[in-house]
Amino acid sequence: MLHLLQIDLKKLFSYRTFWIVCGLYFLTIGFSTASGMEFLKWLANTFDKFGSELNINRIPLYHFPDVWLNLVWWSGFFKVLLGIMTVISITNEYTYRTIRQNIIDGLSRWEFLFSKILTNFLLSLASVVLVFIIALVTGFIYTPEINWNYVFTDLEFYPAYFLEIFTFLSFALMLGILVQRSGLTIILLLLSYMLEAIVKANIDDYFPWLIQFFPMESISALVPLPFYRYAFQEIQDYVDPASVAIALGWAVLFNYFSYLKLKRSDL
Amino acid sequence: METVLSIKGLTKNFGRLRAVNNISLEVKAGQVFGMLGPNGSGKTTTLGMLMGVINPTSGEYSWFGRPPDHEVRKKIGAVLEHPIFYPYLSGQKNLELNAKIKECSTQNISNVLELVELKDRRDDKYKTYSLGMKQRLAIASALLNEPTVLILDEPTNGLDPMGIAEIRELIKKIAANGKTIILASHLLDEVQKVCTHFVVLKRGNMVHCGPVNDASKGSETVEVNAEVENLSEVLMKFSGTESVNRENGFFQVTLRDDFRGKDLNKFLFDQGIIANHLVTKKKSLEKMFLEILSETN
Repeated sequence: MLHLLQIDLKKLFSYRTFWIVCGLYFLTIGFSTASGMEFLKWLANTFDKFGSELNINRIPLYHFPDVWLNLVWWSGFFKVLLGIMTVISITNEYTYRTIRQNIIDGLSRWEFLFSKILTNFLLSLASVVLVFIIALVTGFIYTPEINWNYVFTDLEFYPAYFLEIFTFLSFALMLGILVQRSGLTIILLLLSYMLEAIVKANIDDYFPWLIQFFPMESISALVPLPFYRYAFQEIQDYVDPASVAIALGWAVLFNYFSYLKLKRSDL
Repeated sequence: METVLSIKGLTKNFGRLRAVNNISLEVKAGQVFGMLGPNGSGKTTTLGMLMGVINPTSGEYSWFGRPPDHEVRKKIGAVLEHPIFYPYLSGQKNLELNAKIKECSTQNISNVLELVELKDRRDDKYKTYSLGMKQRLAIASALLNEPTVLILDEPTNGLDPMGIAEIRELIKKIAANGKTIILASHLLDEVQKVCTHFVVLKRGNMVHCGPVNDASKGSETVEVNAEVENLSEVLMKFSGTESVNRENGFFQVTLRDDFRGKDLNKFLFDQGIIANHLVTKKKSLEKMFLEILSETN
C-alpha cells in the first residue's frame, strides 16, 4: 500500500502545478480562517450601525470550543482547490497516456486507481491537520480565559470534515476518469453543486425526503452551518450519523464507479 | 524450447470494426519474433491485449504457460507505439518511477542509460529530449528490470538513418544475450535483418507465420550486366531463366527452381560473354511480404 502511495507521490512531487495548487490551498485557508476577527472589525468600522448593534468582541468566533466547528465549516469551501488538483493528477495520466504505460509496466488497474485514492486520502488528512493547527493556534490567541474542559470538545467535526473532503476528492477522481479531459472535468466539478441544486429545487415539492441523499448535499450536511448559534442560540452541534452513512456510501460508490470504468476501458 | 507466449483465438472488436481476428501463435524462448503488417493491420492492438491495456473480445493468451496477470508484466519490457513518459520529469526520475512500478532495483538505471547513451542528459526533463532520445529512453526503460522478454513496437519510428542503425545494433546486442524479442514493424528490411521468425497480419487476420529463413528460400534472382548489346536476348536463351527485367541499368534475371547463379554464370561464359556485374540476390522479405499480401487479396 505504501508502495503504491510512493508511486503516485513521486509523480506529484516533481510537478510544479501540484505545489502551486497546494500552496494556494493552504495559503487561502490559512489567511482566510485566521483573519475572521479582522474582518469583523472592518465591518464594524465601515458600517456604523453594525458595531452598535453587535458587540463584535462578544461574538466568540475563535473561542474554544466554537472555533473547531467554525473553522471546519469555513475551510470546507476551499476543498474545490484540492478537487482540481485531483482532477489534474488523473487527467494528466490520460493526456500523457502514462496510465497506459503504468499498466504495461506492471500495475494492475486496481493498483493504479488505488494509488490515486491513497493520495486523496493523504490530501484530506493534510487538510484536516492544517485546519486543526490553525484552529488550535487561533483558539489560544482569542479565547479570553482558557477552560481546558472546552478546549477539546466538539472535535468530532474533524473526522466529519475528513469524510467531507475525501468524498469530494473521490467524486473529482471519478469525474476525471469518466471525462478524461482536464478542462471539461474542472468545469463539471465547479458546476456540480449548481447542477445538483437545480435538480433539488425541482424535486423539492414532490420528494423532499430524497434530498438528503444527494451527494453534494450529503457532504455539506456533515458539517452544519455554525453561525446560527450567534442569532438563535441553538444549532446542531453534533455530527449526524445519517449524513455520515450517506456520505460514506457515496465515497465508496464514487471509487467503485471509477474502478468499473477503468476495468472496462481500453487504454 | 520453452514456450514464452501462447495465443489462442485472440479477437478484438472496436464497435463494428474487427481489429484483430482469431489470432493464434506461439513464441519460443530465444526467438526474435517479427510482427509485420501494413499500418492498421492490428499489430499494436494485439500487443496491447498481450500487455493488459486492451481487453480482448474473445480468445486467450498465456505468458510462460501461466494465465496473465499484472505480476507477469513486470518481467516483460515493453514499448508500445511511441515512448510514453511524464514530460515534466527528468529521464532519471522517469526511470526511477518505472523501477518502482516494476518493483526492481534502481541500481540498473545507470547501466541502461549508458547502454542507450543517454547518461549525459539523464537530469534533463523528458520534454526537452529529441525523438531519437525519447525512443532510446523507452528502450532503456524496457530493459530496466533485465526482462527475459522484450516487446518493441516500431522502435525505429521517426528516427534518422543513424538512429535506426543504432537501435538495430542495440536489438541485435540484446538478442545475442538470449532474450526473446517480439518486434512489430512495417519496415521489412529491419525485420529481415534482426528477426528469426515472423508473422504477417493483414486487416486483423494472420496470413503467414514462420521462420525468416524459409522466406528467403525458393527461386533466386540474379542481377547481371555485361558489355554486350543483345544481353537481354542471350539471357532469355538460358534454360533456367524464368523472366528478365531491366532495372537500374542491370538485368534482373529470375531463375527457375533448381537453378543457381553459378549456372547462369557458366552459361554466359560458355556463350563467350564475361559479366562485369553478377550478384545473386536472395528473395527479400519485402518481396515475400508483398506476395503474401497480394495472395490473400
